Amino acid sequence: MHIQRITAIFEKDLKDFMKNMMLLTLPLIPVVLALLYTRMGEGNEAFPVFLLYIIVGTTYSAVTSSSMMTMMAEENEKKTLRGLIQSPATMMDVIIGKSLVTGLITFIALAVSLVIVDIEPFLNFRVILGLILLFLFFLLLGIGIGLFTKSIAATSVYLMPVMFLFGFTPMFEMLGLNEDSIALKVADALPIMQAIEIHHTTSWIPLGIIAVWVVGAALSMYVCFKKTMTDE
Amino acid sequence: MENAIEVTGMQKIFGSNPAIKNVSFHVKKGEIFGLLGPSGSGKTTTIKILTGELSQTAGKVNVLGEDSKQFGSTGFKTKIGILSDNSSLYERLTVYDNLKLFCKLYNAPLKQIDVILREVNLQEEGAKTVSKLSKGMKQRVLVAKALMHKPDLVYLDEPTSALDPGNMAHIHRGLKKLNAAGTTIFLTTHNMEEATALCDRVAFLHNGELQEVDSPNALRYKYSTHAFHVETFGGERLVIENQAENADQIRELIASGQVRAMHTDNPTLGQVFLKVTGKGLV
Ligand SMILES: Nc1ncnc2c1ncn2[C@@H]1O[C@H](COP(=O)(O)OP(=O)(O)OP(=O)(O)O)[C@@H](O)[C@H]1O
Ligand SMILES: [Mg+2]
Repeated sequence: MHIQRITAIFEKDLKDFMKNMMLLTLPLIPVVLALLYTRMGEGNEAFPVFLLYIIVGTTYSAVTSSSMMTMMAEENEKKTLRGLIQSPATMMDVIIGKSLVTGLITFIALAVSLVIVDIEPFLNFRVILGLILLFLFFLLLGIGIGLFTKSIAATSVYLMPVMFLFGFTPMFEMLGLNEDSIALKVADALPIMQAIEIHHTTSWIPLGIIAVWVVGAALSMYVCFKKTMTDE
Repeated sequence: MENAIEVTGMQKIFGSNPAIKNVSFHVKKGEIFGLLGPSGSGKTTTIKILTGELSQTAGKVNVLGEDSKQFGSTGFKTKIGILSDNSSLYERLTVYDNLKLFCKLYNAPLKQIDVILREVNLQEEGAKTVSKLSKGMKQRVLVAKALMHKPDLVYLDEPTSALDPGNMAHIHRGLKKLNAAGTTIFLTTHNMEEATALCDRVAFLHNGELQEVDSPNALRYKYSTHAFHVETFGGERLVIENQAENADQIRELIASGQVRAMHTDNPTLGQVFLKVTGKGLV
């Protein structure tokens, strides 16, 4: 790890992001969703928290995970990663530089979307901590997938389950499933549902559960990392 | 003289395919060394081992005084420059931004970018987006990228394969200048004229085995037939061996004013390669 090299990669990736139409449209998705919400809302009634978390989940899966894996897969596909690794930059520098770009874009997309709908419920220390942990979880998923996908096309195969399972979890609530159904019980343990739970309790347990998810994502990323590093 | 590269008994086996079989050679500091061989002979694999991108299956590899185990270190990576086969650039960024990234990664001063762009004859193209460049221009940006941080040793894997003669000559002059300033150059090429013009010594690689290592001229003399080819005004063509007992015959021909042309038969490097390997360069 080396600050100057991380900064160089951050600068390069930010410029590249701004010139990449495919990536640039991603942060628009939650913003457009937020705008649609405001048209749907009836009068001054506040949005239910779980609806707000569909925006959060969309941002984290469609912006965070997706940009991260796309940027990494493109370096692989276009063979530019080789040039970086031949230079004094390490794989860690590359990952951190890209994570910073992803973090910046995610922050902007999330802040704008939430301001459009209703940022009030999020202005709370535990909730913000939950959002940060969620960001790390989706970022780590993106890095892990980005490490082994060799082409941009292949990322969409992995992005779908990330989106539907982890990103759009609150929608399961809307499926009208039986309260006791296994699917709903499992869904309740997923990170986004735990983040919603933070709003309904003063307990720290939901944050703990999200932290466990983050550790899990970190471990699987580490496995992918070790595997790519030993590949010839 | 100290050696920049020392390779002893190097072997590389991919699965069951022995791509490099027991290769030994050295490259002196300050030398331009050419590795020549047909497609698939193992040139790129050799460069990958010498840069630490691949590790050898067996043998000892030492570059700039460091053992191959140290090739991952920042210190080593800043001392070498690499132009690899199918390297690529960030297509959406400008030439300048591409070079700026590597300038920073190699911790070189940013003013180097303009200097090196002039060296590769792209001083006008800095602000252009890479995707809008021709193939030869991209290749020259890659050459610039490899040389920008003034490495002690550069590896160039077929550096001029996409270039027209004019730009090839320009790059050759640049490489000669760089070499005169003390940089060791290790290059691979298919192009025998390029090797003859540029290299102090060349090695022939064929099926993963090293056949000959010497200066291009020494190899040409070594495989020369040592005969004089004489053409007379009468249209006759004679081949006279370069031996003492033939001196009178040659003297006679000259004295009687019959010689229209006389030359020694030195093969080109390409012909030498053909003789050594029984195979042409593809
Ligand atoms: N990563 C790899 N995995 C398996 N086999 C490989 C790998 N890289 C190269 N080879 C094999 O090693 C041999 C030498 O390949 P190499 O790329 O070194 O040739 P080359 O001399 O550079 O050829 P060219 O002039 O076409 O670039 C070939 O038989 C090739 O198939
Ligand atoms: Mg090659």
